[in-house]
Amino acid sequence: MTNTIDTSIYAAITEAIQGEARRILSEGHVSAVVGYAAARRKGSAQPVVITDAVRAEELIFSAACVNNLAVYLTKAKKEIPKTGKIGIVVKGCDLKALVGLMGESQLKREELYLIGVPCAGVLASTAQPAQELTGDTIAPKCRECDAHLPQECDFVPDRQPATPELAGKYRAEIARLEAMTPAERWAYWKEQFKKCIKCYACRQVCPFCFCEQCLCDRNKPQMVETTPRPAGNTAWHIVRAMHLAGRCAGCAECERVCPMDIPLNLLNRKMAKELKELYDYEAGFQVREKGPLAMYDEKDDQSFIK
Amino acid sequence: MQKFISQQNLGHLLDKLIADGKRVVAPRMEAGTPLYGPFADSAGIVLGQLPRRSAKETFFPVCEDIMSYGKEGQQVTLTDVNPARFPETVLVGVRPCDAAAVPVLDAVFSWDYQDEFFLERRQKTTIVGLACTQADDACFCTAVGLSPADPKGSDLFLTPVEGGGYACETFTEKGETLVNSHKELFGEPSGAPALPLAEPQTEKFDLKKVKAWLDDHFEDPAWDSIAVRCVGCGACAFLCPACHCFDIVDEGTEKAGKRRKSWDACGFWKFTHHASGHNPRDLQPKRYRNRIMHKFKYYDDKFGQTLCTGCGRCIRFCPVGIDIAAIVSEISKK
Ligand code: SF4
Ligand code: SF4
Ligand code: SF4
Ligand code: SF4
Ligand code: SF4
Repeated sequence: MTNTIDTSIYAAITEAIQGEARRILSEGHVSAVVGYAAARRKGSAQPVVITDAVRAEELIFSAACVNNLAVYLTKAKKEIPKTGKIGIVVKGCDLKALVGLMGESQLKREELYLIGVPCAGVLASTAQPAQELTGDTIAPKCRECDAHLPQECDFVPDRQPATPELAGKYRAEIARLEAMTPAERWAYWKEQFKKCIKCYACRQVCPFCFCEQCLCDRNKPQMVETTPRPAGNTAWHIVRAMHLAGRCAGCAECERVCPMDIPLNLLNRKMAKELKELYDYEAGFQVREKGPLAMYDEKDDQSFIK
Repeated sequence: MQKFISQQNLGHLLDKLIADGKRVVAPRMEAGTPLYGPFADSAGIVLGQLPRRSAKETFFPVCEDIMSYGKEGQQVTLTDVNPARFPETVLVGVRPCDAAAVPVLDAVFSWDYQDEFFLERRQKTTIVGLACTQADDACFCTAVGLSPADPKGSDLFLTPVEGGGYACETFTEKGETLVNSHKELFGEPSGAPALPLAEPQTEKFDLKKVKAWLDDHFEDPAWDSIAVRCVGCGACAFLCPACHCFDIVDEGTEKAGKRRKSWDACGFWKFTHHASGHNPRDLQPKRYRNRIMHKFKYYDDKFGQTLCTGCGRCIRFCPVGIDIAAIVSEISKK
């Protein structure tokens, strides 16, 4: 098949991850390693937390390792005791979220041991876990990836990932939506938001949705209608998109997990595009104190205050 | 009663029902996603894939108003919703795993409190089930004692046959009424063999053994290893044909508003969050434990039934790959 994407390095990466995890656990450098393990369904993988070096052999990397494991290091996940240094398997796109979390003082670099993965891509949510990685089954985010090789990790298996040239879908789709009239665009999103059932899977997997209590869950007073109806759904999506503006680093987890196929990353990418144009800012590359929307500068444009 | 209906006549049947003023609900595409929903003509019906959400929403909508209120000066008015106005409905193309969940839900919605919203819709709905010809490795209806040809919950059941069309069998009076009122569209059984049915690969669970283990292991380290990765969303419960928890909230202003009932899920942190601030299910493994306990122990204790039909939706759409079939199978081996 012509559009097969070469993932042959994933076997060697799996071996390297296992070796490194075994070493850092048995030598006591870390108290736990968050990674991926094979699951029951053919070809599938799921997140796993390992504290015993003997279990390092369970770790894998494959095109089914879709999750951004950074979510497990946030304070939203109290199940994983964050004592001592924690090892974590990261793809380039996941690393951007970790960098963002460090910038927001949620994590300290010295408390992490980063096992970076040279990554050619992972499967789209529409693919079955056992499917081969091709131009058709690859996740949309991987089509426009700029982080195949994660930088500044503590350990990266020495492999060069295939970096296939694929046409970007988000850019084209955003251009299509931008060309619409506001009424057409409103109609498009209304149709999409109508499907939302407020399962909050998008929020729960997002590394940046780490609030102790989400404003959208409040009922005393109710800030946003909690019921899945048109008004409350639209409000929820606006809150979500705005709270992620300038922070979202594009791991596209929200979109991947949405059981209603709502293209959430289009909102994220559009926000990112605006941030780039307005502030020449891109999230996830540098550990910064504050993103542009959380910062005040006297030179900021004030003309919108009337 | 055994009959045959051609593909074309099935379309005519739906169109006639719609013309008669019935609400016809069947799988169709909604903004790119297959969902059960009401429609205006039979053209858009999509029978080839399992709808993303289950058929439960026909009886138990994602969100519904149950009362409205208004306040003018000292005068408060409360207006109830009148369930008698719910329309007669025919629900078509329902997979066995979805149809079988409906009688399971009857038990809880007509237990100590008669939920008129559910029961009125239930009573007014005729369910036309459809045998399943395609399974993936998340399907496990056979493991919980059902099958791709199980008519449980269906009033009329369709099995696709070779050469096109469906063998029909009625199982209730509602099913017979449906056939008898449109006799001209049904023929005698054609004798054509059924198309090969789906073959879910999972081995049968020993549900008694599973329950016996659950009876004794409310506290067990296994819960941590199973659910430490669970992120606490509502995807599994919301897509499930058998999950039935709901929340009730008042929304609106001081002057006017609605009381609404909408889906809730035990995976959510706030599900058991007390007004005092205390949360007895403070960590995710305790919440996920409830999911398994409710489905394979509590519901059995209370109603003698299992709260899972093996549709596999929660497996396919769990953001972190939690696999209830793998978990239950492991428990049955303990
Ligand atoms: S976006 Fe890049 S780093 Fe992330 S999974 Fe896709 S190819 Fe790998
Ligand atoms: S994951 Fe999808 S359906 Fe669930 S709350 Fe988010 S947008 Fe809505
Ligand atoms: S628990 Fe999962 S597999 Fe069982 S009926 Fe519910 S969604 Fe389907
Ligand atoms: S499993 Fe959870 S969400 Fe589902 S019905 Fe039971 S308590 Fe409710
Ligand atoms: S099991 Fe999966 S779908 Fe269910 S609450 Fe946990 S993460 Fe969400």
